[in-house]
Amino acid sequence: MDKKVQLSGKFKLIMLVMIVLGVISVIAGFVTENGTRTWANLLLNNYYFLSIAMGALFWMAIQAVTQSGWSVAYLRIPQAMSNYLIVSFVLFALMFLGVHDLYHWTHADAVAQDPLLQHKAPYLNLPFFALRFVVFFGLWIFLTYRIKSLSLREDKVGGVAYFSKIEFASKVFIFVFAFSFSLFSIDWLMSLDPHWYSTIYVVKKFISAFFHGVAAIAAIAIILRKLGYLPMLTKEHIANFSRYIFALSIIWAYMWLSQYLLIWYANIPEETIYYVPREMGEYKTMFYTELLVNWAFPFLFLMWNRVAKNENLVLFAVLVLIVGQWVELYMSIMPSIELKHAISLIEVGTFIGFAGLFGLVTGYSLSKMPLIPKNHPYLLESTTEEHF
Amino acid sequence: MYNTRVRGILIKGNKTYSDVSRDVLRPLDAPTPIWWWVTAGLAIIAMAWGSWAFYNTISTGIGIWGLNNNVGWGFEIINFVWWIGIGHAGTAFSIFLLILRQKWRTSINRAAEAMTIFAVMAAGLFPLLHMGRIWDGFFIFPYWNTRGPLWDNFNSPLFWDVVAISTYFMASALFWYMGMIPDFATIRESTTSKIKKKIYGAMSFGWIGNAKSWLRFETAALLLGGMAAPLVVSVHSIVSMDFSVSVVPGWHTTIFPPYFVIGAIFSGFGMVLTLMIILRKLYSFKDYVTDGHLDAITRILTFISLIMATAYMTELFTAWYSGSEYELFTFMKNRVTGDYTFAYWTMITCNAIIPQLFWFKAIRKNIAIVFIMSIFINIGMWFERYIIVVTSLSKDFLPATWAGYSPTIIEVAAFVGTIGLFVFGVLAFFRWLPTIAISEVKGVLKETTTLKSFTDEN
Repeated sequence: MDKKVQLSGKFKLIMLVMIVLGVISVIAGFVTENGTRTWANLLLNNYYFLSIAMGALFWMAIQAVTQSGWSVAYLRIPQAMSNYLIVSFVLFALMFLGVHDLYHWTHADAVAQDPLLQHKAPYLNLPFFALRFVVFFGLWIFLTYRIKSLSLREDKVGGVAYFSKIEFASKVFIFVFAFSFSLFSIDWLMSLDPHWYSTIYVVKKFISAFFHGVAAIAAIAIILRKLGYLPMLTKEHIANFSRYIFALSIIWAYMWLSQYLLIWYANIPEETIYYVPREMGEYKTMFYTELLVNWAFPFLFLMWNRVAKNENLVLFAVLVLIVGQWVELYMSIMPSIELKHAISLIEVGTFIGFAGLFGLVTGYSLSKMPLIPKNHPYLLESTTEEHF
Repeated sequence: MYNTRVRGILIKGNKTYSDVSRDVLRPLDAPTPIWWWVTAGLAIIAMAWGSWAFYNTISTGIGIWGLNNNVGWGFEIINFVWWIGIGHAGTAFSIFLLILRQKWRTSINRAAEAMTIFAVMAAGLFPLLHMGRIWDGFFIFPYWNTRGPLWDNFNSPLFWDVVAISTYFMASALFWYMGMIPDFATIRESTTSKIKKKIYGAMSFGWIGNAKSWLRFETAALLLGGMAAPLVVSVHSIVSMDFSVSVVPGWHTTIFPPYFVIGAIFSGFGMVLTLMIILRKLYSFKDYVTDGHLDAITRILTFISLIMATAYMTELFTAWYSGSEYELFTFMKNRVTGDYTFAYWTMITCNAIIPQLFWFKAIRKNIAIVFIMSIFINIGMWFERYIIVVTSLSKDFLPATWAGYSPTIIEVAAFVGTIGLFVFGVLAFFRWLPTIAISEVKGVLKETTTLKSFTDEN
């Protein structure tokens, strides 16, 4: 029960090589292309892995609040991801060097000529932006660290006292997360188009984080089982993860449609402008790919019960969704930055670098604690088979 | 594996299987109680008054309502949305909790589903009435084309409503009825009255409870549940689109579909709470609908209330962030302040603030307070629809046409009439149908009890 994950030398080496690739790509980006595009690329990857970690942690909090039993054995995976938040904080902090390249509203002369930006200035100004950034990250790191340390103490002490404490901390985390992650998404993504607004934008980003976060947990759990770590990951549990992914793919599409349909139908120029470069210009293919990869594929694929219970096929679905999340963020960020659609090796390399970093941090954190929360009161529900 | 030492027992009072059947069916065989006659009498009076309003509206036309050129939607749409919202709870309750494997749903789902059926019926009356020429009501159905080109406007969310709501109604009714089939068979077997035996026997479709039937039954329930889950979401999403596809400030906001769905589930769960407290009191079902069950509902309500609060804040923030003077006017000058301040703040208080009291255990344990709070939620959600429908219409882009709105007595009567219909429907359900899903409670009884005869087998 106290078994920990052993990181092989090969794993560490691969991750390090990936990171080096990423660093080279970023440097190449700054040298060869214009800085704006590279900054946008960094923003994409930063937000990408932050939202994976946050979505996974949200899943963990949901398990505590709904008192789910089956998922207990997998709680350590999101807990390990919480360490990435600190790394993410540092990487996001570096982004401040590039804010002028990305955010139109940070230019004093632009604001001076634009009444709408002046109106928004009490919210969209650099000091407040930075303050929000620090406060949000502080809250996330504090709360997730607290949940993790309570869970680790439960391992040693047992009883239900820590269980209730975790439940309460999870409630607080869910609320803080919903509120702060929404504003965070407005700050870093929606304000790339400072004139445009949509109330559901942040909800979609929230769902997207949850969606892809769960997919990441499922993938890690399956990989760990293949390495012989999580024997309780039965077909039933794989199907549970699949159901999460399946349901969330529908919810994701629902958010996508709510935004698109209502803007299309009302046809107000201030709003439709957002879709003009996305749907009509060079990004057209990517626009439909986003929907296809994040909704149509998982929806049709995981609908089959046999697929939903097969670990290799679920792993494949997750791989597709990893691309899907990237496409979604690409479509959120790039058309706001420039009208030209181009994906080069630099983008691919940067993503590989970030993936390596995320993998290394998560893997390292996972290897530092027992893989299964052995004193969790519902552990038995997770380790004994139950049919639905 | 359900561990009663960790999770607690679900059904109190050490019930055996036969106890469950006996307890749930007892009210069906008992003589009709006085309270039933009194409430049914009141409901019938309300329905009579409502019928008077319906008659007047149909014979005279909707001009006798308080609507005007600007506020073209009033009480009828508010009440329609309100009832539809309540009608979400049953199916949401059964299906989402079924999919999430919450075993405690078994004591409550039947009553919640019954509520859904009657609430949707009540809701459906309003759009029908609103047509003005009710005798042409069948035009809205895309039936076989004998009138030349189809007259349905497929671009209109109002038409989508017809499709979504009728589908939802059919699916919910089917789900509800199907769940009752084994229980009808139980009544058929246990009743001593020959007439009842015939009626319930016919309603049970000859259910004999063999293994194969159960297997089919459970598969069908799960499939129907899975298909009905998106329906729950679709209905109120489409109702929200009646508003949000427009360009009216305060209506056109992209968050409307999920915001309406959450609101609907909120009001529905509020109504479930109200009804379950009444039901368990009247029929002494405290062993089945335990304090733990009510506690679970209040926790869910707290959570949804927080989502509602977040949605209200998002709307306000985005209205400001948009910088659009029309948005700003609607939210800041015509809702937060202005002519509709009372309704706005009632909505905020009832939906976002009062339910937060559920954070305190002492309040969750006090059933009287919980009951009152559940009523507040119903009131708050009514005001939410009032705010949405009336404020945005009353003051639109052309100040010269600004107008207020107050309902006429006819409109109030129609509303009261639908309340009568709902109450009467629920009463009929209380009287003649099994109010708790006997077979489902039995299904979870074994593993959630500490009764010796069960635990010995394990």
